Amino acid sequence: MTNPQIAGETPTPRHHPSPETLASFAAGTMRSGFDVVMSAHLQACAECRAEVAQFEQLGGHLITEIDPVALSESALAATLARLEEPSRPPPPRTAGGLDQLLSGARRRWVAPGVWAARVDTPSHHDDRVFLLRVAPGATTARHTHAGAEFTQVLEGALDDDGVIYRAGDFVELGEERTHHPKVHGSDACLCLFATEGRLVPTDLIGRIAFAIANV
Amino acid sequence: MSGDDAAGSAKRDPAELIRQVASGDRVAFAELFVLLAPRIKAYLVRLGSDPASAEDLAQDVMISVWRKAPQFDPSRASAMTWAFVIARNRRIDSLRREDSAVTYGHVPPDVEAETLLADDIVAGLQGDARMREAIDELPADQQEVIRRSFFEDEPHSAIAVALNLPLGTVKSRLRIAFTKLRSRMKDFQ
Repeated sequence: MTNPQIAGETPTPRHHPSPETLASFAAGTMRSGFDVVMSAHLQACAECRAEVAQFEQLGGHLITEIDPVALSESALAATLARLEEPSRPPPPRTAGGLDQLLSGARRRWVAPGVWAARVDTPSHHDDRVFLLRVAPGATTARHTHAGAEFTQVLEGALDDDGVIYRAGDFVELGEERTHHPKVHGSDACLCLFATEGRLVPTDLIGRIAFAIANV
Repeated sequence: MSGDDAAGSAKRDPAELIRQVASGDRVAFAELFVLLAPRIKAYLVRLGSDPASAEDLAQDVMISVWRKAPQFDPSRASAMTWAFVIARNRRIDSLRREDSAVTYGHVPPDVEAETLLADDIVAGLQGDARMREAIDELPADQQEVIRRSFFEDEPHSAIAVALNLPLGTVKSRLRIAFTKLRSRMKDFQ
């Protein structure tokens, strides 16, 4: 699958995460799973990368000011003794970034022109991270989510209550809301979502589709 | 080491120490350890780690500092920001080791930073001084929510409980505080 963002063809995104969301990513306190969607936005958005870098600077300032907590007497010697140890491999992560994520997606067709794929992340049990691809003309299910929802538009465009989100844009919903996003324009729309808690479809078609896709 | 608050009296510039550590200087590493490790441990404890795990993880972070020292670039980030990012990433890694295997996750910013344009970055110490000024100008209650948002594990709900505020108030206060901080940082550029 081609990914226009990675090829650098996407225009500058116009919808971004809120400042407190960028800050929580920089702080490392973002709910796990949601950071996957945030990372996808950062891959597409130099402006937000720069803001995250500034909030990291804030982190540097805050640990400079923090009241230190003493380590044990032996800690320095123990650490010096370990300096030449071979390094443990870090947990596997984003070598291939978004491309890897897309190529590894196990797609489940839930309706004509619509597929969904769960993304494996160490997210909270009831949270969901998934890709959803919707063909032009197909509608997504009206649904309610119990908490926050992050969306990164990867391809095509999305119309959510009259606001158009294009490839590269980030949609941040903070709390419970029922909505019914639609594909905008003549191209299929591919999005990466993270939702706090499972989605609750509010119509019959949605209940069937969501059950098939297990999202 | 004594474990006293020797960090406050460290004489040498941490960026200089990191440069020496990069060339394998263990004496400089010991000095850097005294400066950084108690702060990193404090950071991990604030984020909910028990003291024994925080102690172990702070040592792991210092080993990462030893290994990554050759990659430190003071024109990109100050020494303390660089150390913060390493500590933050090691903490995330350790939380995930306890969890399932990660196939895709947090983009480590020390890699991500490679794609930043030089103009995007408020470089090193100068940027830190601006950040300090920007945060000092904020009202005390906003400084407090900002500090807590970095040092609490479930920031929003923990702040709400600690400050006895409704969750919605915490969220709007955070938004106001970070928006102000952001616009002040932009003014400096």
